[in-house]
Amino acid sequence: MSKRVLIVDDEEVIRKFLRFRLLQWGYEVSEAMDGADALNQLNKGDFDLMICDIVMPNKDGWELIKEVRSSPRTKDIPVIVLTGKNKDSDMFKGYELGASYYLPKPFTKGQLLYGIQLVFKGDSDSINQIDLSQQ
Amino acid sequence: MKDQNRKKIVLSLRWTVIIVTSYLLFFGKGRMTDPNLGHLFILAYIFSNFILIFLPKAWFYNPKFFYLLVVFDTGIVSLGMYLSESVTTDFYLVYFLILIFASMSRNLKLLMVISGAIAFLYGLLLYSWGLLDSEQSVSYALRIPFIFIMSLFYGYIIQTFTKESQHQRALSEDKYRGLFENDNDGIIIMRDVELQIVDVNREVERLTGYRKGELLQRSLFELFESAEEGRASNYFEQVLSQGEARTDSLSLIRKDRAPLEVDLSTKRIHLEDESFYQAILRDLSEQRRLEKKIRQGKMNFQAVFDGIQDRLSIQTPDYRILGVNKAVMDHHRTHENELIGKECYEAYFHKVQPCEKCPVAVTIETGQPASSILKISEENTILRVFSYPMLDEKGNLLSVIEYIWDITEEQRYQEQLIQSEKLAGIGILASGVAHEINNPLTGIIGMTEIALEEEAFKNHPYLMDILRCAQRISEIVKGLRSYYRTAKKEEYSLVDLKEVLEDCLKMVRMTINPSKVEVIERFQSIEKIEANVGEIQHVFTNLITNAFQAMDKKGGKLGLSTQSLKDWVEVKVSDSGMGIPSKYLNQVFDPFFTTRNPGGGTGLGLNVVYRIVTKYEGTVDIESEEGIGTTFTVKFPIRKEER
Repeated sequence: MSKRVLIVDDEEVIRKFLRFRLLQWGYEVSEAMDGADALNQLNKGDFDLMICDIVMPNKDGWELIKEVRSSPRTKDIPVIVLTGKNKDSDMFKGYELGASYYLPKPFTKGQLLYGIQLVFKGDSDSINQIDLSQQ
Repeated sequence: MKDQNRKKIVLSLRWTVIIVTSYLLFFGKGRMTDPNLGHLFILAYIFSNFILIFLPKAWFYNPKFFYLLVVFDTGIVSLGMYLSESVTTDFYLVYFLILIFASMSRNLKLLMVISGAIAFLYGLLLYSWGLLDSEQSVSYALRIPFIFIMSLFYGYIIQTFTKESQHQRALSEDKYRGLFENDNDGIIIMRDVELQIVDVNREVERLTGYRKGELLQRSLFELFESAEEGRASNYFEQVLSQGEARTDSLSLIRKDRAPLEVDLSTKRIHLEDESFYQAILRDLSEQRRLEKKIRQGKMNFQAVFDGIQDRLSIQTPDYRILGVNKAVMDHHRTHENELIGKECYEAYFHKVQPCEKCPVAVTIETGQPASSILKISEENTILRVFSYPMLDEKGNLLSVIEYIWDITEEQRYQEQLIQSEKLAGIGILASGVAHEINNPLTGIIGMTEIALEEEAFKNHPYLMDILRCAQRISEIVKGLRSYYRTAKKEEYSLVDLKEVLEDCLKMVRMTINPSKVEVIERFQSIEKIEANVGEIQHVFTNLITNAFQAMDKKGGKLGLSTQSLKDWVEVKVSDSGMGIPSKYLNQVFDPFFTTRNPGGGTGLGLNVVYRIVTKYEGTVDIESEEGIGTTFTVKFPIRKEER
């Protein structure tokens, strides 16, 4: 059964690009436009991974991660942080809040795939067999 | 007799002389043989007196006219006596006796007494000889008033001359005395040969402290200091042999034993047929004091002039150097003799005409202060030059003061400051826009990659270009980040530069494939430095990346070395690549400067290196030769706590 990934980003083009790649790699994809929308979806369904942006309207990425980690229902969902905020301090903050991987924008599909595989490392069932060297 | 009525008196006396002479002619002893001659004589005499009436008064005060009149009257009276045929008589003798007495006499009253006595004696003789009882008694008797009148006439004339001469003499003496006493120089009159003082003026009394009476009859020698005797003796030997001599300075001893330096000038003079020496003493103490003051003032001025560390010179309105301070001589490594008299532009800058924008030219033209900044390409310096006019009381330009302030360092510092502020501004801007750029950039890169995977667009050149450009923007944004991203002290640790170099080399090797590059490592054991490891990695990643890129695909040798200097640790990164043209060497650390083709580099790498190294108070230098290679030398200071 495919892993379910929730994409959270206010930029439609990025959501589009991520959906294309994740579908291409065999993941099931849902999209949210901001933090509030994401929380809503997380409460409704089960997800194996959340890829989220930081700077978003309504509820930003930091708030979202905090709430995800504080809820028993979602606290174990791995989170990949995608952000244009490239300061080291942002990255540290992301890890402190419980991000599984921090991916600064812009990134290539290879970097994205590497991040996803790193998150699902050890979970052989959940890693889609994609050859990274071919990407 | 009042001298003011000289004309009147002379005329009156002459009338009496005419009357007595006429009496003599017509009632004289001999009686005239030809009475017409007597008439003619009297008429001529009367006529002469009438002429005198019409002559101006001033003529009677003219000695030449007065002498002429006396000679005329003496001659005409003698002629009258001749015509009266008294020549053969003793009367003529009496007349000449009167003339002799008159010429010898200085005193009218005495002359009148003598003349009266002669007239009386003559009358007594005439009486004793019985001539006054003869038939010619009238003629003889007339001689007595004649003698008296003539005495009076000549007496007046003699007195007039005497008075005049005395007056002139008194005037001349007063004048001399006044000049002598009031002279600003001391004057000593000495008798010839013995040099015995016979007169001194007031200034000598003031200078020597002696009263006139104490100096008279002493020798001038006695006033000299014993140490000066030899010089004084030589001086006066010269005076005696040559008649005059002058000395610049001799020391006298004042009455109060204080020394007195004087300038002495002595000359032989003649006063009333006697030979004297006149010595003129000029007090040099005031002059010496002024000279000392001027010397001191000059020294003070020179001390101030030389004390100013910037270059100062004084120039004429035709640019000729009149004086320079020590800073000018030090700067040009020359002596002032080599500069004075030369045109400033030639002496200072080896030019044949005044420098462009020279403020001295403005001051010469306007008489006003001026300043400008001159870039002297020959010296590679930037100078701020000020010029100030030196004017006389009428406001005419005498000379120009030129003040040269070398601002090369300040200017460079200023430029660096502006540059770093500019970069900081870019950093702040980049920080703000980085996020905004990165989001769409992610979209561009991601979507372009997707498009390129489509069968129809696989390896499409336009899409490939879009991807490359987007990746380049991504690099620029990352590069700009380093302008605002700076590690805090808390993020510092002790960094082993050798380890950093090895890590960086591994990392760069993973991104660039430098298979043909031989790496030569010469690592000495060096002290660790306190820094943020990420930043130091950034420095050497950039330098090693540059080295690999410089060697391109041809390969070559990459040298990495560390060594410990006294207070520094030094790291060298060298390559055997293409090298950098010398004209670009002073620009390589400028932001956005790159010699690579467009798209080949952001031009930020070396600037980031420079910024990080200088942040740690280190230095980074470059040596490069085209076709041979490039070496970057990075030095970090070692702080005591790091040892």
